[in-house]
Amino acid sequence: MPLSTVPRFHAVTWLAWALAAVVIVQLASSPLYVTLVLAASALVAGAHRISSTGAFRLLVGAGIVMALIRVALTALTTHAVGTVLFTLPEATLPRLLGGFTVGGTIEKEVVLQSLAEGYAIVALLGVFGAFNSVVSHHELLGSAPRAFHEAGLVVTIAAAFVPSTVTSWQGAREADRARTGGIVRRRGRLVRTVVPVLETGMERSLRLADSMDSRGFARHPPGPADTASAWGALLALMSLAGSFVALVGRRSTLAAVLATTGAVLLVASVVLASRASPRRRYRPRALTGEDLLIMATSALALTLVAIAAAGGEGSLSWSASPLRSPDLAPLPAVGILLLAVPALLPTRPVPDEESEARTTADNARTAQPVAS
Amino acid sequence: MSAVVTFAGVAFAYADQDPALVDIDLTVAAGDVLLVVGPSGSGKSTLLRAVNGLVPHATGGHFRGSVTVAGRSTRDHRPRDLADSVGFVHQDPEAQFVVDEVEHDIAFALENLGMEPAAMRRRVEEVLDALGIAHLRHRSPTTLSGGERQRAAVAGALAAAPDVLVLDEPTSELDPQGADDVLAAVTRLNADLGTTILLAEHRLERAAPMADLAVGIDRGRLRGPEAVPALLADYEGAPPVTHLGHLLGWIPPPLTVRDARRLARDTVLPEPPDRAEVPTPGDVLVGARGVRVRLGHHPALRGVDLEVGRGEVVAMLGRNGSGKTTLLRALAGLLEIDGGHVDTLARVAYLPQDPNALLFAPTVRAELEHTLHLLARRDPEAVTTWLDRLGLTDLADRHPRSLSAGQRQRVAIGAVAVGGADVLLLDEPTRGIDPPSAGALEQAVADHAAGGGAVVLATHDVELAARCATRAVVLGDGDVVASGAARDVLAGSLFAPQVLRVLPPYLTVAEVAGALGR
Repeated sequence: MPLSTVPRFHAVTWLAWALAAVVIVQLASSPLYVTLVLAASALVAGAHRISSTGAFRLLVGAGIVMALIRVALTALTTHAVGTVLFTLPEATLPRLLGGFTVGGTIEKEVVLQSLAEGYAIVALLGVFGAFNSVVSHHELLGSAPRAFHEAGLVVTIAAAFVPSTVTSWQGAREADRARTGGIVRRRGRLVRTVVPVLETGMERSLRLADSMDSRGFARHPPGPADTASAWGALLALMSLAGSFVALVGRRSTLAAVLATTGAVLLVASVVLASRASPRRRYRPRALTGEDLLIMATSALALTLVAIAAAGGEGSLSWSASPLRSPDLAPLPAVGILLLAVPALLPTRPVPDEESEARTTADNARTAQPVAS
Repeated sequence: MSAVVTFAGVAFAYADQDPALVDIDLTVAAGDVLLVVGPSGSGKSTLLRAVNGLVPHATGGHFRGSVTVAGRSTRDHRPRDLADSVGFVHQDPEAQFVVDEVEHDIAFALENLGMEPAAMRRRVEEVLDALGIAHLRHRSPTTLSGGERQRAAVAGALAAAPDVLVLDEPTSELDPQGADDVLAAVTRLNADLGTTILLAEHRLERAAPMADLAVGIDRGRLRGPEAVPALLADYEGAPPVTHLGHLLGWIPPPLTVRDARRLARDTVLPEPPDRAEVPTPGDVLVGARGVRVRLGHHPALRGVDLEVGRGEVVAMLGRNGSGKTTLLRALAGLLEIDGGHVDTLARVAYLPQDPNALLFAPTVRAELEHTLHLLARRDPEAVTTWLDRLGLTDLADRHPRSLSAGQRQRVAIGAVAVGGADVLLLDEPTRGIDPPSAGALEQAVADHAAGGGAVVLATHDVELAARCATRAVVLGDGDVVASGAARDVLAGSLFAPQVLRVLPPYLTVAEVAGALGR
C-alpha cells in the first residue's frame, strides 16, 4: 500500500518543531550538538514522512555538497597561523578580483573549523528536509494568512510538477534512443530532450490552469484587510531580519528599534488577518494533545539550550584554534534530545485505515451494478 | 424541459487562424446526455470549452454570438464565476489536480466558492460516494491508476453541484477498464442526479449507448442534434456494429452488440468464403526466447517466447501491467533482461506510448529528416514515402505541437519508421486518437508489413487487432497465455470483436462487405 499522504501532526506543530531545531543549531553549533540535531531530524523524518520523495536524504546530500565546496574554498583562500597539512602552488589574483592569494599552505585548523561550520549547514538542511517530508504543504498553506494563499498555492503546485518533469525527462531520453533503433547520438541530444520536456510541461500547465479556472480559483480576490495584513507581515519579517543584521553588526540601539517595530507590525498583521474574511477551509484540523505535546517539548528544548547559552556554557560553540576535542554538557544535550520526541509517538494507526478502506471498497463494488 | 446551455449564432476564431467554430446554434435540455463526435481538430474541444467561457476568456481570439449557461452569459462571466454552473474535465488525468490529497482536491472548488464548512464536508462525502472513490480519499492522485484518477477529477468538477458537466475526451488516456469505470460513473450521475452531460469521445463503443442525442462537428460546422444511431450511421468512428447495421440496411442501425444480435436473427449471409490463407511468415527478424525481466522486485516477464517474421503484424493484447510495454522495450534493446535471449536479426525501432516525448523539430518534415540525420543518412524518398503513407503530406510544414493527438502520433510513427527499420514496435499507437488518424495508421502498418517489414502492436483495442493483425499474442501477468493466428485467438476470447459476436465467423465489417460483394 502506498504511503498515506495525511500527515500525523498539524503543519503548525511541525513549523514550531522546525523553528526550534533551526534556532538550536544556531545556538549550539559545536559538532557534537549538531550531530544530535541531525540524528533527531533523521528519526523524525523516518517515523512520520508522508511521501516517498526522500526530501530528507536529498537535502542532506545537497548540504554535504555545499559544505565540502565551502571547505575547499575556505582552505584555499584563508590562511592562519597553525599546523600546515601540505602546501599547494599559490597564485595571487589580480587586484581587480580582490587581490588575495589562492593556494599556498593549507592549515589543519582552517580546514577543521570550516568543516565544523559546514556540518552545521548540513544540519540546517537536514531539519528543513525532515520538515518537508513530514508536513502537508497544503495544510501549511491553509494556515498562512488569506492574502498569501493564491501566491502560495502557485508555488506548491510548481513544486508538485518536479516529479512529473523527471518522468518526462526520462521518457524523452528513451524516446531519443528508440528513434534511432538504440544508437545513441550525443550531439544535440540535450536539445532533443529539453524541447519535448519543456513543451509537454507547458501544455500541461495550460490544462491545469483551465482546470483551476473552471473550479473557481481566484474567484473572490482577497479583501483590503487581507492585503494590509500581508504587507504588515512582510514588513515585520524584514524589520526582524534587519534587527538580526544590526545585532551581528553590534548596533544594539538600531537592533532594538527594528525588533520593536517588527514585533508591533507582526501583532498588528495577525490582528488584521483574524478580522479579515476567513478563507473557508475543508476539514481544518484541530490541534490534538499530541500536537501540543510536540510544541511544548520543542519549546522546552529551545529553552534548555537558551538557558545554557545565556549561562555562558563553553561547550556550545567549538573552535579549532587552539585545537581541542568538542565536549558535551548535560543540559543542552537533554534539550536537543527532546527534539526527537515526535519520533517516539506512534505513527499513523494503520489497521483502522485498512479496514475502513476495505469496507468502502466493498460498498463501491455492490453499488456498481446499479450503474451499468 | 428547460434549456440549460444555449449557443446562439456563435462563431469563433483563434488569433490569426481559420475559423474554429462557424455559426453554431445549439440548445441542450436539462438532464440530457449530449455526445459530441468529430475528428480531432474539428472544433470539438473549442465547442466544449466555450460552454464555461474558457473560450474566449482563457484563449483570446475573435468571438461572436452568445453562450448562455443556466441563465448566465459567458460574455460577462468568467469560467471561475461559472464554477458553480459548469464542471469541466479534460483528457489528461494528471494535469487536473491542485492538491495532493484526493478529498482536499475535491474540496478545492468548494473552498473557492466560500461554502459553509459543514455543507462542504457533507458535499465532499456525497461526491466521494457518487463516484465510488471513498476508499481513495486520503490517497495522493499520483498513486492512483488512470481510471481512478480520472474519476477523482470528475469528482473535483462535480463538487460544486454544477448543472452541466462537460467532459472533453475523458477516457482517451485510459485503458478499457478505466474507461468503463469513468463512463459508468458519469452515466450514474446523469441518472441519479439529473446532471446534464456534454461528452466528447473517440471511443464510441461505450459512450454511444449512454447518450440521448448526438451532434457531429466538422471543420467548425455543427450537424444535429440528432438521434445517436442516425448521426453515427455514416461516421467513420462509429462502433463496428453500427457500421454493420448500416451495411445490412438495419434501421435504425444498432449501437450495442445486444441490439445487433436481435437484428441479426433474421439476417442470412452467404457462407463465408474459405478462410483467407494466413500468409506464412518469412524469415525471423527478431525473436525472444525465455525472456525474463524484473522491474524492481516485481517480475514483469516470466520467460516469454516470441518470434516475429517478415510480413507479419503481431497484435499484443493484455491488461495494463501484463508486460506488453516491457516486452516491446526488451525487443528494442532498451532494457536489461535478466534471463533468456533476444535475437535481433534486423533493425528494430520502437515508438513509446507518449508521442510527445519524441517531438522537438519545428516542422513535421524536419522531424522525419532529423532521424535520418541522426543515422547519418540522406533519403528524401523515405521521407516522402512515410509522409504519404501516414497521410501527413498536407501537414508537412506545420509545427508538430500545433497538431492534434492523432496527428502527433502519426508524426511520431513517421519519425521512428523513416530510419528504415524492418521491425516497428508500436506501443498503444491508437490510444486517444481520432478515427481518420487510426485509419491512416492501420494502412501504414499494412503497407509496411506488405513491403517486407514486420510490426508489433501493443494494444487494448481488439477491433484494431481484428482489422490489421495477422497474429495475436495475449500476455497475462508476464506470461504468454495465448498465441496464434489473430482470428483463432480473438474468436476464443470473451472480449471478441463486435462483429464476431454478432455474425460469427465474420471478424470485421470489411469481411461481411466482401462476402456480400460490396
